Amino acid sequence: MRRRVGPVCLVFALLATALAAQEEVYLKVTSPGLQRVVIGVAPFASRSAVDAVAASQFMNTLRADLDQTAVMGLLPEANARLVEPAPGDPGLTRQRWRSVGAQLLLEGSFSGAGNQLVVEAQLSELTSGEIAYSRRFQAGNALAATMAHTLANEIVRLLTGQPGPFLSRIAFISDRSGAKELWVMRWDGSDPQQLTAHKSIALSPAWSPDGQWLAFTSFLRGQPQLFVLRPTQGVFKAISTLPGVNTSASFSPDGKQVVFAAGDGGDTHLWVVPAEGGTPVQLTSTRGICTQPAWSPNGRQIVFTSTMGGSPQLYAIDAEGTNLRRLTFEDQFADEAAWAPDGVRLAYTTQVDGRFQIATLDLRTNSRAVIDGPGSNESPCWSPDGTMLAFVSTRTGRKQIFTTDPLGRPKQITGEGNNSQPTWVAQVQ
Amino acid sequence: MSRAKQLAVLTLATLVLAGACAHRKTLVTPEVPSPESSVATATSGTTGTGTTVVEAEPAIGTAGAPEAGVNASDLPTDLVELNRAGYIKDAFFDTNKADLRDDTRELLAANASWLKGHPSVKLQIEGHCDERNTEEYNLALGWRRAFAVKDYLTSLGVDAGRMGVISYGEEKPFAPGHDESAWSQNRRVHFAITGR
Repeated sequence: MRRRVGPVCLVFALLATALAAQEEVYLKVTSPGLQRVVIGVAPFASRSAVDAVAASQFMNTLRADLDQTAVMGLLPEANARLVEPAPGDPGLTRQRWRSVGAQLLLEGSFSGAGNQLVVEAQLSELTSGEIAYSRRFQAGNALAATMAHTLANEIVRLLTGQPGPFLSRIAFISDRSGAKELWVMRWDGSDPQQLTAHKSIALSPAWSPDGQWLAFTSFLRGQPQLFVLRPTQGVFKAISTLPGVNTSASFSPDGKQVVFAAGDGGDTHLWVVPAEGGTPVQLTSTRGICTQPAWSPNGRQIVFTSTMGGSPQLYAIDAEGTNLRRLTFEDQFADEAAWAPDGVRLAYTTQVDGRFQIATLDLRTNSRAVIDGPGSNESPCWSPDGTMLAFVSTRTGRKQIFTTDPLGRPKQITGEGNNSQPTWVAQVQ
Repeated sequence: MSRAKQLAVLTLATLVLAGACAHRKTLVTPEVPSPESSVATATSGTTGTGTTVVEAEPAIGTAGAPEAGVNASDLPTDLVELNRAGYIKDAFFDTNKADLRDDTRELLAANASWLKGHPSVKLQIEGHCDERNTEEYNLALGWRRAFAVKDYLTSLGVDAGRMGVISYGEEKPFAPGHDESAWSQNRRVHFAITGR
C-alpha cells in the first residue's frame, strides 16, 4: 500500500509542475519549503450530542479552507481512508497518517451544549511528533463556518506567520441588479451581499485597513462624489464634493486619511482628505491627469498614474507631496497600481497589443513581469496576506473577478452580470 | 441682449408655457445670468472686441448657424424634444486625447453661435470615453474632454455660468460594440440641454 501511494503522489506533483510552467501563473508560490505542506484531517469524534448540521458545516468548511492556499494542501481523501486509527495509541495513529503522506495532522472533537458548538482541535507535526497547536473554540451553531475559518486562519499563521485569508472579504462593483452598485463577498466568491441600492453609478471601492469603512464614488447626486460607508452600521456620508471625478480612494495605513483624485480645472489631481470628512488638500499639480493613487503599506509614499510624461505611467510621491519619481518606463500604458502588503511589490494594469494585462514590479530589484492571460485583464489587488491576487478578466465574456489558486493560476469567483474593481480586506469589522 | 429684454423673453416663454405644459416648473426656472459673472468670463472672445457675453449677436464668421438669434420661445417646449432636435452637435475625439481637432473647433463654433442666440438655454457638457482605458482613468479623461470644450465655448463668448461639466468616462457608452466603429462613437462630448 505504502509503496503505491508514493509514486502516485509524485506523478501528481510532476503533472502540476508541468501545467504551471505552461499556464498563466500570476504569483509564484513562495512558501519557504517551495512545496505545499500536506495536512491530514482525522474525523472529529462527537463527545456529546451535537447539532449535526453545524458539525458537518464546520468540517466541510475546514477541509475546503485547508486546501485553498499556496502553503498547504489537504491529504487526498483516498490516502486518508487508508489510515486505521489505533485507539489508545495516539503515537501509532500519527505514524500511520505519516505513512500515507501527511506532514501535519489535525485531530479534534465536537461537543455541544444547547445551541452552542464546542470544538477542540490539535495539530501535530508528524516528523517530530510534536503537538504544534491546540485550541478550544465555542460559539453558536450558526457560527460553525466562522469557527472553521478561524481555525484554518490560525493553522496558516503557524506555517507563515500571517493569518490565512479565510475570513477576508472582497468588495467590488457589480451591475447584476441592473445598475452599478457596491457589493461584498467572501474571498472565495460565496455569500455576495449588495451594499448600495442607489440605481446610479458606483465606482472604485477601497477598504479602510481595519475593515470598518469602504470609500467609493457614486453618481447618486448627479456629479460623482466620494463617499464613505460603514457596512455593519449603515453609516454613509460624502467626504469630497470637489469638482471633477472624486474617484480612486485609497486609505492611509492608519485609516485616518484618504487620498483620491479630483478636478483642478480640467486637470485631475491627487487630494488628501480626513477619512471622517474635512477640507481636502491638493497633493499634485502637474498638467494633465493624476489618478489611481495607492498609499504604501508603511504610509510613506503614494504610487499613482499620471500623464505628465505623455502616456499614462506609474509615479511615486512621498506622502507629503515631495520627491516625485517615475516608476514605469517599458509600458505603453500603466495604471491601477496596487501595493503588496510587503511594501516591495506592485501589481498594476499594463497594455499589450491593445489588451489589458496584469504586470508586477519589484521595487527593490526593478524587475517587471507581464502575465499573458486570455481576454483583457485589469484591476489587480492583493490578498491581505500577499499570497494571492484578485483581478478582473473578460476571458469568459463579461467582466468577471478572478483570484489566483494555490499555484498562482486564475480561478473565476463571480458569474452574474459584470463584476469589477475588487478590493480585499482581512476581516470586516 | 439686455437684461430687460431677457426678462421679457422669459416672461413671454412663461406665458406661452402657462397652458397645460406638465414640465412648466422645470422649463421656466432658468436663472437669469448675472451680468457680473458674465463679464468676468468674457476675457477671450474670438471677435476681439471685448463684447460681453450677455449680448446675443450672431458670432462673426461662423456660417452654418441658422438658428442664431432665434428666441427661446421658438424652441420645442419639452426638454426631451429639445435635446432630440439636435441644435447642439456632439464633438468627437481621437483615441486617448482631449485635444480639440480642427473639425471639432468648427463644430463648436457653430454650437457657440447657436448658444449665443439662445442665451436662456443652459446645458450640461458631458465627457465620454471608449472602453479602452481603465474606468477611473477614463473618468479623468472624460472630465478633461468636457472641460476643454467648455473652455473653448467660453473663449467664443458663451457664458461659462450656463455650462455645467460632468464626466461619465466609459460608463454611458453611446454605441454598445467593442470595435473601432463603436469606440469612435463613444469618444465624445455630448451636450445635454438642462434648461430652456
